Amino acid sequence: MSELLEAFRTEYRRIFTVKPVFSVLILGTAFYAFFYPQPYLNEALRDVPIAVVDRDRTPSSRDFIRRVDATPDVAVIEELPDIASAEREVFARRIDGILVIPQYFERELLHGRPSPVALYADASYFLIYQRVAGAVVAVARGTAVEVESARLIGLGVDPALAAAATDPLRLTAVPVFNPEGGYATYVLPAAFVLLLQQTLLMGVALLGTLADTDPAEAGRRRPSPVTAIAGKLLAYLALQAIILPVYLIVLPYLYGVPRLGGVLPILIFAVPFVLSVAGLGFVVAGIFRQPVRVSLVLAAAGLPLFMIAGFSWPSEAIPPVIRILSYLVPSTSAIDGFVKLSQLGAPISVVNPQFFTLWALAFFYNFIALLQAIREAKPLTPVVAARTPRIC
Amino acid sequence: MLARSRIRPGFWLVFWREVDWLRRRPFLLGLTTIVPLAQMALLAAVFSAGLATRLPIGVLDLDSSDLSRTIIRMVDATPDSAVAVRVGDLAEGRGLILSGKIHGLLMLPRDLQRDVFAGRRPEVVFFYNTQTLTTGSLTARGVTAAVPTAAAGIRLSLRSAQGQPMESAEADLQPIPVQIHALFNPTLNYVYFLLAALIPSILQVIMVTTSSYSVGLDVETRHRLRVLRRLGGGLWPAMAGKILPYTILFMLVLGLSDTLMFTGFGLPRRGQAWLLIVAGLLYILSCQFLGALLALLLKPIASAVSIGTLLTAPAFGFMGIGFPRLGMNAFAYAYGALLPGTWYLTARIDQTVRGTPIDLSWKPLLILLAFALAFVGLVAWRLDSIRSSADRSSRAQTAPLVEVPS
Repeated sequence: MSELLEAFRTEYRRIFTVKPVFSVLILGTAFYAFFYPQPYLNEALRDVPIAVVDRDRTPSSRDFIRRVDATPDVAVIEELPDIASAEREVFARRIDGILVIPQYFERELLHGRPSPVALYADASYFLIYQRVAGAVVAVARGTAVEVESARLIGLGVDPALAAAATDPLRLTAVPVFNPEGGYATYVLPAAFVLLLQQTLLMGVALLGTLADTDPAEAGRRRPSPVTAIAGKLLAYLALQAIILPVYLIVLPYLYGVPRLGGVLPILIFAVPFVLSVAGLGFVVAGIFRQPVRVSLVLAAAGLPLFMIAGFSWPSEAIPPVIRILSYLVPSTSAIDGFVKLSQLGAPISVVNPQFFTLWALAFFYNFIALLQAIREAKPLTPVVAARTPRIC
Repeated sequence: MLARSRIRPGFWLVFWREVDWLRRRPFLLGLTTIVPLAQMALLAAVFSAGLATRLPIGVLDLDSSDLSRTIIRMVDATPDSAVAVRVGDLAEGRGLILSGKIHGLLMLPRDLQRDVFAGRRPEVVFFYNTQTLTTGSLTARGVTAAVPTAAAGIRLSLRSAQGQPMESAEADLQPIPVQIHALFNPTLNYVYFLLAALIPSILQVIMVTTSSYSVGLDVETRHRLRVLRRLGGGLWPAMAGKILPYTILFMLVLGLSDTLMFTGFGLPRRGQAWLLIVAGLLYILSCQFLGALLALLLKPIASAVSIGTLLTAPAFGFMGIGFPRLGMNAFAYAYGALLPGTWYLTARIDQTVRGTPIDLSWKPLLILLAFALAFVGLVAWRLDSIRSSADRSSRAQTAPLVEVPS
């Protein structure tokens, strides 16, 4: 028991004294907390600039343009004589859409004939396309209902019936869990989980590859591999008991991301998450063996791991083989589970599959780490056999 | 000693030494080639579908009428959504959304058909999960397309019931139809939008960090830098010989990934191929010299690699692909402008899907050129200052008392 406590204390001390580890686990974590959310903090795109080509030049067409401009999503910044000149403005990236109102727009509308408008929206950026298309379609529908029911009333139809005849079946689309459709609310809860994984993974792997520099520790008897690993895991749990609630509860609060779930389920779910990431960190350390290699290998891993997690790209569209392999990385189950617990307010029973997957990963990786540790420990009987440092 | 007279120091000596290093160090070679290629293959497989279709939604049909069945059939027939389950009540539907089995729930109220034909305008509600924004909005797109189509048929019969002539009734079903043209990516294919941008972004992280590492190996100590300088017959040819093998490797990796994008996925090539290649070269050089600069400024190597990671690993969000830069706050917008990747992706989108006319294509290329020149200049300046301080200290050692004017 005292050995376990000793291993725990040693590792906990190393987190704060080994410089590269401190940089990643403490400074890096603090830096990302501020830095990473910055692009998304405005939550939504507003006033996407578009141009209009008004070939009708009537009160109706001008009214339509004014309504489009009045939406929060787009801003009509210029009026151009033809599509060719508007297209150049799109290429020059000054505008992201062109609304064309054809000649006789008003005449057709007043006669009760279909009066189409054309929209060219920049689909090289999907969010821009969605905004522009969504705004114009909504304005067209709204205007159409008004015009049509006004016309029917003019024809002597009862107003209530006129409304029913123009819009007999109301469709209300209710976005749930992220009612504003905000980008920060969407991406941050998942990204924070990935950041937690990447920093902890890097920290544990660095700790596993960096030699203990404290001379006071050198002479001390080494604990058994099981005790050593258990002690280290306790140290990481103690550290993450502070960092993880900050990332998943305090930061979302500070950035105004709503949270539906309670704190306790999040903390319970966090235990196998931390253990599995730490276990994976041991394994990574055992494979790459040098701190700089660990840093290089893990540097570019974050983005692909985020993409295979089935969060930003639906898991239904990911090929089954990759989906299965993706469960080997804790983030796949962890992002899914944490998002459901905190953002959807799901009870912990809903995330049982993810919870047990993480426990399985925790046992699997720590078991491999144990085997690695036992293999390492064997030849080390007489002196501390310092591995000869190789450059790469 | 024997070879010494035959080996001439210079650019090529350092170049071949580096190539030899790469051959003898599978880790570094793997990191610059296999790692990005493997990540590319993984992401290509993830996005190979291009479009996410038939996303599962649930239906709560409280009416069970002809009309409600028609609506369900139409929703199921859209490419975006598929009716996967019928649920008995809202709680069951909510549970399925929570578990992730469905992404939305369509609720058709009791007496829907009766109320519609009585002109009471009943409400059909579609709940969809926007915590996963992409999936949620795709299912909503399917439902919002299908339900008005079903409603259109009803409008027609409501009108005819009121004695309106049929043809005029038919005409004003869609009084203002919007003909939407999705410029540059008409099928809204995620491969052209996201995958095409992800691969260069990953390469940015790899290029900066591995350049820090490989340059760091030769400049970490004064002694090693002196060796490099001797081998190269001067610091600048030495640095060029050091950088070039990786430039070639990265060009090959980028070329290979682009070949896959163009031939495998049919990414449009509407722009100028040579502009795309020039942009790629400038991008690679910018990243390499940024990495080299970090290695010259920060010791030990591990710190340079960490700072390189810190700068580039979270860069994707700042480059404005998922969330466009025009919606960002001032800080994020400014930081995005300082990343070579932002401008490479701009040039890349210009020269692939957009087909931007040449005269409007220069801005991102000139910015990339400015980055490359600035980082080369900073590296040169740093090397110069290291050399002069080294000269000073060696002079100080040999002649500590006499100040020799040179």
